Amino acid sequence: MATKRTGAGKSGGRDSSILAKIANHEIANKGRRAACDAVYVSKKLLRSTGKAAWIVGTSFLILVVPLLIQAERDQMLGEIELQQASILGPPPPGALQ
Amino acid sequence: MADLLPPLGTAQIDGKTKVDEKVDYSNLPCPVPYEELHREAIMSLKADNFEGLRFDFSKGLNQKFSLSHSVMMGPTEVPSQSPDTTIKIPTAHYEFGANYFDPKLMLIGRLMTDGRLNARVKADLTDRLVLKANGQLSNEPHMSHAMFNFDYMGSDYRAQLQLGNSALIGATYIQSVTPRLSLGGEVFWAGVPRKSGIGYAARYDTDKMVATAQVASTGTIAMNYVQKISEKVSLATDFAYNYLSRDVVASVGYDYILRQSRVRGKIDSNGVASALLEERLSMGLNFLLSAELDHKKKDYKFGFGLTVG
Repeated sequence: MATKRTGAGKSGGRDSSILAKIANHEIANKGRRAACDAVYVSKKLLRSTGKAAWIVGTSFLILVVPLLIQAERDQMLGEIELQQASILGPPPPGALQ
Repeated sequence: MADLLPPLGTAQIDGKTKVDEKVDYSNLPCPVPYEELHREAIMSLKADNFEGLRFDFSKGLNQKFSLSHSVMMGPTEVPSQSPDTTIKIPTAHYEFGANYFDPKLMLIGRLMTDGRLNARVKADLTDRLVLKANGQLSNEPHMSHAMFNFDYMGSDYRAQLQLGNSALIGATYIQSVTPRLSLGGEVFWAGVPRKSGIGYAARYDTDKMVATAQVASTGTIAMNYVQKISEKVSLATDFAYNYLSRDVVASVGYDYILRQSRVRGKIDSNGVASALLEERLSMGLNFLLSAELDHKKKDYKFGFGLTVG
């Protein structure tokens, strides 16, 4: 561009006008708006993901965790009974059950 | 049955020996009572979640007679003007109860510290006619009421007549149509708000599943389905729609009955997740934990309790 070729623009007045021209260019404005929108959308997405994660997490804690704990205890109880049955053998007739 | 294979020529005898395919319409089973139509769904989906502490102690004095003491402490909800906020008032009360159980007569009485007396009687007048009465007396005026039910059990039908104290009359009838399907209807007339209503219900059950549907002129349509996955596990789902007030609720729940414990959980379309855990710590000692999360209103309720005897 013509402005860039004139002496590399290192003097003070020229410098600000070149940077100002670049900064005020339409593409830069579009870029700025896009960045604002991206930040806005990502904040909303983060907030809604956070809310969904909270709801799913607490509901999972209430609905699924006690079930898993109880199912595992029931399974361990079954194993212990099986072990005892194999160690002690079948109960004699008339045993206390 | 297997050795009675008749020759192909005699089609009539052929039809009668296949007993498992032909339904004997004169020998249908008695249907479940009309108010217990959806009892499997109620067990999974309408578990009594509570908030606070609950302690129940029951002691049998005799083979037939027992006393019970129970303490409940926790917040109770008071209906408030705006639907968004709920007002909770902490309350605590003690309830004393006495029960008499006989094969033909059952008497239950409960007395609470806030002055309410609740009594229930169930008497078998003959082996087909049962009288049930329910009464509640309280200190506040106009809050006492009583209700009498006469149930008649026929060979494949049940009929019930209901009389209440403020001019309430109702009747229900349910009939088995096939060994699996039963249909019923109810009619009621309430004197104080001069309203009458009619409703219909249907229930279809097999070994593995139960499906019921109810329609009433008070505006409710309810359908539920329970599937028994195994001896220990059953899943249930329920759909309720009120066409007068336009509310819809659908819910899905499970019920796991294990050897030492019972876990019931449910999630709702109103954004409510609730669970109830009952664990048997030792003989006659049960520990209860209840949780209910209402994500829409951000209202969380937790309770624990102990049941002895």
